Amino acid sequence: MNSNHAGQESERRYQRLLAAVTDYVFSVTVDQGRPVATFHGPGCEAVTGFTPAEFDADPFLWFNMVYEEDRPAVTARAEQILRGEAPPALEHRIVRKDGSIRWIRNTAVPRKDAGGRLVMYDGLVSDITDRKRAEDELRKAYAELTRRQKDLNVALQELEASNEELKAAQLQLIQAAKLESVGTLAAGVAHEVKNPLQTILMGLDYLHNNNLLASDGNLKQVLGDMRDAVTRANAIIQELLQLSAQREFELKREDLNLLLERALSLLNNRFIASQIKVARRLGANLPPVRIDRSKMEQVFINLFINAVQAMAKGGVLTVTTGAGRFGGDLDVAPAACPQFHRGDRVVIAEVQDTGTGIAQEHLPRIFDPFFTTKPVGDGVGLGLSVVKKIVDLHCGAIGIKNASGGGVLATVVLKAEPEDS
Amino acid sequence: MENQKKRILVVDDQADITRMLKLNLEQTNDYEVRMENISSRALAAAAEFCPDLILLDVVMPGIDGGSLAASLRVHPKLKGVPIVFLTAAATKEEVSMRGGIIGGSPFLAKPVDLAEVLRCLKKHLGAAANVKEEA
Repeated sequence: MNSNHAGQESERRYQRLLAAVTDYVFSVTVDQGRPVATFHGPGCEAVTGFTPAEFDADPFLWFNMVYEEDRPAVTARAEQILRGEAPPALEHRIVRKDGSIRWIRNTAVPRKDAGGRLVMYDGLVSDITDRKRAEDELRKAYAELTRRQKDLNVALQELEASNEELKAAQLQLIQAAKLESVGTLAAGVAHEVKNPLQTILMGLDYLHNNNLLASDGNLKQVLGDMRDAVTRANAIIQELLQLSAQREFELKREDLNLLLERALSLLNNRFIASQIKVARRLGANLPPVRIDRSKMEQVFINLFINAVQAMAKGGVLTVTTGAGRFGGDLDVAPAACPQFHRGDRVVIAEVQDTGTGIAQEHLPRIFDPFFTTKPVGDGVGLGLSVVKKIVDLHCGAIGIKNASGGGVLATVVLKAEPEDS
Repeated sequence: MENQKKRILVVDDQADITRMLKLNLEQTNDYEVRMENISSRALAAAAEFCPDLILLDVVMPGIDGGSLAASLRVHPKLKGVPIVFLTAAATKEEVSMRGGIIGGSPFLAKPVDLAEVLRCLKKHLGAAANVKEEA
């Protein structure tokens, strides 16, 4: 009696528990591997809309309510269970009695007898629609996040590119501002120095023309040296003014080949007089470069004049242009061009002479102001400083080295402009 | 009349420059030179001296060369007198690129030697003489 009473009490507690849970509990009795009876807990109505009585009246209702697309998975799992396996919980859709579609999670636990035969399995069905919806929204949010991250990456790359351009523009502005202040100083100094030079030059003329001094043979030489000194001082002033010219920096898209032709034509008479042949190897379809035409002309005029002076007995001046990717198909030393990145599209111009070259110990100093190896009167050592300054202003690069076949090779590298802008 | 010395007025605030020009030009025996180092007095000096040509500095304290030239060009007695600017404000390159003429006026860029000054004087005195003869 006591045992029977305890069993009844246990059954009542179980029923109370079933009524309390919102999830749907069911038990399937199995005989010979086939389901023979199913008990549906009261929670089934909350999950499916169908009452336990309706499930009892229609033995296929549990299957018919499964969303059609999900039925193969449900069938396969039922077969696994009936074979005595314990598959993991299955999540699938059902069509509720009211026609709405819900997601459920179906967990089944097999019960076996002492011989290991499946006699029953208990299941728990939970409505996970809200979780699925949340997961779906999370997936969509993640996809959106990924898309935005990609957009952000693109924007970041564009920002980095803009930042690089801004840095380059800022560098140009700083350089221009520096030159402007140096230019103001140079112009003032030039004016103040040229006036005393005028007095000295006129004084020399007066002494030269004065018959009283003609008796001293050395005086003619002395006066000549003084006149040369005035000429050199004036040349320094001219080059200083050139170095720091205050003229507005006008950057425009230009064809480097045309610019080189103009610079060459300006010095044509000098090439003829010095017995120098000009060899042009100008690349076809050169992309444009953004430069100040007048200043860049000055760069090449200075390089050409250096080449002429290096070929006192005549020779060949070779001017070459080309375009390509920096660090790729161009033979340019990247170490000399920190302003360029691998893959940047660049235009290069090379000026090569057949002179005696530059002594190795002089190479590190060739861009220093007032450094010169030329005889007195041939230059004051500002030409290459001017060249370097102008190329720097264009955020370009210049390298000068002894060419393998003799002579000097000067290479100017400038960033290419996009063809279509 | 052929042998008559041409009268040159040199206006420059630097006394050493005007002195050297005077010495050199007068040594040729072709020119009589008057110096003026204070630009505000230059107009009166020119009216009194009646020069055949005026060598005029540009950057000067007080009245600058440009303003002084404008006054000279409207002066009844002086308006036909050629003016050559002698200045340190322009470079030789700038002057030679423009054929020696900037803004319609002849320029000499300092420092300039006597030979170049004489060439310039002859050229512009000759032009002025031709203008007078035609008139």
